[in-house]
Amino acid sequence: MPQVKIIAKNFMDMVASLTAIKLDKLYNNVFICEAILRSLPPLAKKYVLQLLFIDDPVPCTRIEEWVLPDGLSKHRVAIDRLIQLRIFTETVVDRKEGTCYSLNPTFQKNLQKHIISGGVLPREPMNSNNGIKLPSLQELETYALQQWECFLLQLINSGQGEKLTGISSSMMKVFQRGLLSQRDRDGPRLTESGFQFLLMDTNAQLWYIIREYISNAEERDVDPADLISFLLELSFHVTGEAYNLNTLTDVQRTTLKDLADLGLVKLQQGRKDSWFIPTKLATNLSVSLADSSVRKEGYVMMETNFRMYAYSTSKLQCEILRLFARIEYQLPNLIACAVTKESLYNAFDNGITSDQIITFLQQNSHPRCADRVPSIPENVTDQVYTLYSLLPSRVIQDWFIA
Amino acid sequence: MASVASKLYSDDVSLLVLLLDTNPLFWDTTSTTFSQFLSHVLAFLNAVLGLNQLNQVVVIATGYSSCDYVYDSSLTSNVSSESRGARMPALFGSLLEKLEDFIGRDAELAEGDEHVDRIASSLLSGSLSMALCYIQRVFRSGHLHPQPRILCLQGSPDGPEQYVAVMNSIFSAQRLMVPIDSCYIGTQNSAFLQQASYITGGVHHAPKQLDGLFQFLTTIFATDLHTRGFVQLPKPVGVDFRASCFCHKKTIDMGYVCSVCLSIFCEHHKKCSTCGSVFGQSKLDAANASSSVNDRKRRAPDS
Repeated sequence: MPQVKIIAKNFMDMVASLTAIKLDKLYNNVFICEAILRSLPPLAKKYVLQLLFIDDPVPCTRIEEWVLPDGLSKHRVAIDRLIQLRIFTETVVDRKEGTCYSLNPTFQKNLQKHIISGGVLPREPMNSNNGIKLPSLQELETYALQQWECFLLQLINSGQGEKLTGISSSMMKVFQRGLLSQRDRDGPRLTESGFQFLLMDTNAQLWYIIREYISNAEERDVDPADLISFLLELSFHVTGEAYNLNTLTDVQRTTLKDLADLGLVKLQQGRKDSWFIPTKLATNLSVSLADSSVRKEGYVMMETNFRMYAYSTSKLQCEILRLFARIEYQLPNLIACAVTKESLYNAFDNGITSDQIITFLQQNSHPRCADRVPSIPENVTDQVYTLYSLLPSRVIQDWFIA
Repeated sequence: MASVASKLYSDDVSLLVLLLDTNPLFWDTTSTTFSQFLSHVLAFLNAVLGLNQLNQVVVIATGYSSCDYVYDSSLTSNVSSESRGARMPALFGSLLEKLEDFIGRDAELAEGDEHVDRIASSLLSGSLSMALCYIQRVFRSGHLHPQPRILCLQGSPDGPEQYVAVMNSIFSAQRLMVPIDSCYIGTQNSAFLQQASYITGGVHHAPKQLDGLFQFLTTIFATDLHTRGFVQLPKPVGVDFRASCFCHKKTIDMGYVCSVCLSIFCEHHKKCSTCGSVFGQSKLDAANASSSVNDRKRRAPDS
């Protein structure tokens, strides 16, 4: 799904598009250097580690020698990424050796410090002796999931959401820009990218929302670099620990209220202090910065008779399945659906491609199904591809000379 | 040349099991102290954990007569009371504590050991087995597990009495498709480690200067299994495939092999000690007897 990858990667592109001064300011923070290191493609991470303690510039021909011939394309991608993020700077030391690369000095110094002595967060978790009753990790996860699903349901304007989140309607409109289209007669409908958004995995969706939030920040007079650094720092906090709100700046506090509506943190108040507890959604942020494959438990079983069983109780997942399958019935722990010609045509009309449907099914297949090779029966994949490829050529409009 | 089928990996999440040689008999003889060596290793572990949020590291200490787990990054009890805020085990406080305890216990066990003329080898077979058991548990934990690999940081020479156990561990690792990397920091060559890396598809390297150990570790051994497909890594130059005999544990080049179980002996035995099959001594006698009869028959017409 190339288009989806562009959306998810765009957060790093946004970081890379900051000016050199702002980037250097970002690199002053040890945790941001770490988060950006984790977001690089694997080969780029290796280059950074190898050059970490080397002070002199290294000729680029020397670096090319480190890869095998069939890795040269990956090498180019890695080098481009490193130059984009201003981690590598190109210099020409002398004509003989050609262009050399050297690490950004601030980045290098901070990463060296981090590897040798680790980093200390600017805030310590609060002592549990103060009479703070922390929710268990399980409760926290349910809370985060609830908040996120509520937000998504409100986003796609479905009537299924029971309660509204605290996000202002203007903020919602910003998020819905591009995902929903305004139609006066029928009310807002999901656009093509809206459907693709729904089929993305949670972390990619989260980054999309955050990217929109940050691009909108300038209109609200908030420095995007501050927001980026706070978000990346958030991913290094410990899930389930309470952090006092008085350690945050005002900007960070308002951001935190919005993040609580998304399910990234949980706000709680005691008698004297108020604190926030990061959830798994927040601490997993830096995992999904890179383009790596998705790692989560699936819930969909696809059968050879085109019936699909989804072990889920979530309304959001029901809506997503409704996009391309016909929901037959819902049991307390199971959604039984059927993939029919009509439902597939419906999906294609809405702009979803066959690749997206198949990738969604493969990524979300139940562990029992994922063990099998292939995880989705071949007749199902063949049928989806065939129907999709037949779409434009079914009926051709042409002039008929009588 | 990789003599093992390797899995195709799509991301770089890795589980690194580090076998750390703490043999005091070896560390007494080197110029670099154990604490200097440990600082390189801890920085390397920090680097590996920093590469990906889901990376895991397990450290097993290999002593003179025992081995034990000293660190597991996936256990949340690692976070000591002072540094509760950091998930990053920055200063590895618990690792150092457990290492100290382990070395003390190992020294106590070694005092009772009477074999003074044994080669000062560390218990590689024990720690390899522990590593493989841990990895097997990870495999059984479900779908979403990191890609495991083993890294042996060893300086002590090979102990031929561990030949059978080490070879068995190597073959198990080969079957599980877990590469065994080895970094040999001692003076003599280690045949066990060379064979281990060769058979399981890992990387073997013996750095000459221990001052730059961190650079060697991050350049070669921090590479995850996905990236190894397109990166130049040290290739095996000449692997020492010599075996040790099963009866005296001496390293031999030529010997007798049982045709049933493939055990190796340096001298001729009547019966295999591993599988109990009787070697055909009677056939040997018959062959001797018939050749002498033939000689007599041939000589008879002459006389």
